[in-house]
Amino acid sequence: MTIKLMQGNEAIAMGSLAAGCRFYAGYPITPSTEVAEIMSRELPRVGGKFIQMEDEIASMAAIIGGSVGGLKSMTATSGPGFSLMQENIGYAAMAEIPCVVVNVQRLGPSTGQPTAASQGDVMQARWGTHGDHQIIVLSPISVAQSFELAVKAFNFSEKYRTPVILLTDEIIGHMREPIELPDFDTVEKVERVVTDSPADYKAFRNEPGDVPPMASFGLGYRYHITGLFHDEVGFPTQRLDEIDPWLERVNRKIENNTDDILLYQKDYQPGARTAILSYGATARTARHAMKQLRAKGQKVSLFTAQTLWPFPEKAVEELADSVERIIVPEMNMGQLALEVERMAGRKKVVRVNRANGEMVTPDMILEAAEN
Amino acid sequence: MSEHILSVHDLDVNEGQIPREDWFESSDTLQHLRKNKRFPTIWCSGCGIGVVMGSLIRAIESLGLENNNVALVAGIGCTARMPVYMDYNTLHTTHGRALAFATGLKIARPDMKIIAIMGDGDAMAIGGNHFIHAARRNIGITALVVNNSIYGMTGGQQSPTTPLDMRATTAPYGNIEPPFPICDLASAAGATYVARSTVYHPLELDKYLAQAISNDGFSLVEAVSYCHTTYGRINKLGSAADMMRVLKENSISKSAYDKLSDEEREFNTKTVRGVLHTKKRPEYTKVYGTLVDRVHEEAIKPRNYGGH
Amino acid sequence: MTELVSAVNQAPAKPAKKGPRGEVKIFATWCKGCTICVEFCPTHVLAMHPNGNHPIVVDQEKCTACHFCDTHCPDLAIVVRKIE
Repeated sequence: MTIKLMQGNEAIAMGSLAAGCRFYAGYPITPSTEVAEIMSRELPRVGGKFIQMEDEIASMAAIIGGSVGGLKSMTATSGPGFSLMQENIGYAAMAEIPCVVVNVQRLGPSTGQPTAASQGDVMQARWGTHGDHQIIVLSPISVAQSFELAVKAFNFSEKYRTPVILLTDEIIGHMREPIELPDFDTVEKVERVVTDSPADYKAFRNEPGDVPPMASFGLGYRYHITGLFHDEVGFPTQRLDEIDPWLERVNRKIENNTDDILLYQKDYQPGARTAILSYGATARTARHAMKQLRAKGQKVSLFTAQTLWPFPEKAVEELADSVERIIVPEMNMGQLALEVERMAGRKKVVRVNRANGEMVTPDMILEAAEN
Repeated sequence: MSEHILSVHDLDVNEGQIPREDWFESSDTLQHLRKNKRFPTIWCSGCGIGVVMGSLIRAIESLGLENNNVALVAGIGCTARMPVYMDYNTLHTTHGRALAFATGLKIARPDMKIIAIMGDGDAMAIGGNHFIHAARRNIGITALVVNNSIYGMTGGQQSPTTPLDMRATTAPYGNIEPPFPICDLASAAGATYVARSTVYHPLELDKYLAQAISNDGFSLVEAVSYCHTTYGRINKLGSAADMMRVLKENSISKSAYDKLSDEEREFNTKTVRGVLHTKKRPEYTKVYGTLVDRVHEEAIKPRNYGGH
Repeated sequence: MTELVSAVNQAPAKPAKKGPRGEVKIFATWCKGCTICVEFCPTHVLAMHPNGNHPIVVDQEKCTACHFCDTHCPDLAIVVRKIE
């Protein structure tokens, strides 16, 4: 164990290395470029590989190719690049290819404010690519959590054969905090295991289990991967009796495993009639506001989400039952708040929004809590 | 027509005289196809893409490559439907991005022989950026571009290689955009093996594909073909056989081309077949390999902060 | 390995008295009737079946194993085997 003062973006790079990431393909974009710079330096040291591609579309394509080739692969970008990556993120979801995409959010839309923070890509992280699909989106609130969620992102991506978005922002990405770095060899890593023989290997079989083992290319499992709807061995199909089971399985593999996938912290005060639900950088403000409110004797509960998608529906529903209202501070005009409203039923959801690049302040939350 | 032939063939055509599994065994080439895949192929009757598939298999066979060690990466379009039929590692990606996917795969598995299979639109329009950068890096991938000068899958739109003044469903008054010379572009961008032939000359394609795959760095093989279903119909160029014949009449070997006078060469309109460009340049993943060794040799201890 | 016949390539071969002979096999199930093999066979070994769906061998002896048909068949529905 080592204590080190580290930047959030660097902690993501270190967490990725600790999780066994051995391939990075990316394209420079503020405020994520440090991840690329660090990976370009560190990967060769651990026998890994780095490439700067010609654009973000190519970067997303390359990490899928790298993952198919057997390397745990990642890229890091920000809003504009994240928009370019969407089609291939959808491909990774369709072809069930493990990979990690870091989005260090900056103020958008468009070029926006490259060095200003934002949480404006929350819905894009879920619905950015076309068509119904599943995806996992994790959001750290600290440098230490940036390391932990990078490890989680890789393990979830392998375990559920899915792209995982590590949705951080310019504040968490660029700030420096002390972090207790574990010995990388002690970090739990999910590895690909294929026990079927090449003859009966079905890369997209619908049972047993919801996640068929992933065979990397070149190991003798000569199978087909496509972005078209496909049957159990990967051949394109338009037959409903092959499409429907696949759709059900791919949804099940995420929705039936929410106890594993959903990460959040509850700091509830019995009898509190107000709760604050937040994530990412804003969660730090919410924590500060909560302390101030409690210091003034006002009861308040705090729910901090690390997994944004799938949305922690049950936990938020239970929270709503136990309070009068939920305050949702976000550095956007209200995105995750839409999900909270969906789950809150009759209870009031108070949005506290700021989408001009400045952080939501504790006073803004106090004001909402006190009237 | 001698009687015995007709009687043998009076069978119902679907039944065919040869059981399906036997047909796969009746030539070495056919044994490279996927027995569990539904045939015949998706392409229109007479389409040149199937001819290129035959060439690719014979090229791979001639090199004695291990099927496990071959990966075909394709984009989207008629040509991109080729990999699924063959018994290799096959990846059917997104439109225009085959070379970017293949770059990642090659970096992960530098030992594998990787062939990116694209149509002219897939490689030159949406895929143009990845094409020039893969060539610039001289990464060990063979780009096999089947050039029929049209977007066939979507019904006959003009592509970056549609000749001037020819018609397409999106160029109803004639194409006004000068087409890309794919081989010149690849050579200028940095490819270290560039060859072109046509589907009328599949044995040339076999040879050039084998050389391309053996080339360490980025190779391009342009296989000039035709699309009689869209391009041919819109421009009244006849049947598949007619357009196949034009490929023969309208092409010239490089050796013959080199013998032309400067003036003839300037006004030449025939497709030049041959190995058009080669260059000795280190292959990308090999250079990166030496970089990794160098980083290790400089005994820079890998920073595992946590583990001291 | 299918031996690549380099001698007779794209140039039409003269109807052979001696020289290589070939045995032609057609898999009608895969054939889409594009007629390329029939129209380009240098020695007219093939003709379209009366139902027009696929070719038939009408003159096996004339086959010189030039491999034009099986290398130009878009559907790998025809195979020529050289007879020694």
